[in-house]
Amino acid sequence: MKITVSINIGGYSFNIDEDAYSELKIYLKSLELHFSGEESSSEILSDIEARMAELFRARLTAYKQVITIEDVRQVTAILGTPEDISDNEGPSARDKFSSPGYHRMYRDPDHRIIGGVCSGMAAYWNIDPLIVRIIFIVLAFAGIGILLYLILYIAIPEAKTTAQKIEMHGEPVNIHNIKDSVKEEFNRVRKNMKI
Amino acid sequence: MDIENTKAQMRKGILEYCILSVLSRNSCYASDIIKELKEAEVIVVEGTLYPLLTREKNAGLLSYRWEESPQGPPRKYYELTEQGRSYLSDLDNSWMELVESVNRIRTR
Repeated sequence: MKITVSINIGGYSFNIDEDAYSELKIYLKSLELHFSGEESSSEILSDIEARMAELFRARLTAYKQVITIEDVRQVTAILGTPEDISDNEGPSARDKFSSPGYHRMYRDPDHRIIGGVCSGMAAYWNIDPLIVRIIFIVLAFAGIGILLYLILYIAIPEAKTTAQKIEMHGEPVNIHNIKDSVKEEFNRVRKNMKI
Repeated sequence: MDIENTKAQMRKGILEYCILSVLSRNSCYASDIIKELKEAEVIVVEGTLYPLLTREKNAGLLSYRWEESPQGPPRKYYELTEQGRSYLSDLDNSWMELVESVNRIRTR
């Protein structure tokens, strides 16, 4: 017995094995990162997803209704990894792919208590968020903590994409980090669902 | 020197031209273009096509319309714009010149 996940690709709904799902997610994230410098990256990605849906549909029959990890591997081989794609695009895309990441401050939505300001600052300085929170509580009693928190909440953007979450920790954005980050996210979802 | 790399470099230069040529005959959706390019062996992985299509569209060489499909969600049909046609005829000429030049060297 295996757990399956229900996903929407290009307007079609698919049931996909759990292991296949995390592999597919890593693939899509790596494409997202690859095209992130592109003017119309979301359009390119949705076009690729539409094609992906077609390829998956061709692999399903009345007797085979779930996408397996083997299907994901075959389809991603047809579509190509970012490296395969950039072979046809020249060196610029590849350089971008391995460039060192920025170290920027974001609000951390995954470990937040109120708005993720403290957890984001803690991630930036690589310290325990508890320290930042205690400082803010002390400042709140001194009368400036709440206002300061509000200002920072407005000024610091939230880390939304996987790449931003990696930048938040000051690590270079590359495929290995993306893999780790997706796995972590996946495990967290599993834990919340208690499966 | 890696032969595969050299081949990829050769294909890379003509891919844009091939896409426009396919679309010059009639409008098609991305999977039709892929089928033709794969049969002609100018692309290896399909993902290569999509950024090029979007770039050509942004440059005003292509336009697209949504069309209902018999099965599933609507599809994007691409076609050449006026600008795309004149761009293509320019490329047609330079392709001829290129073939001629290479042949002159090869058969000397």
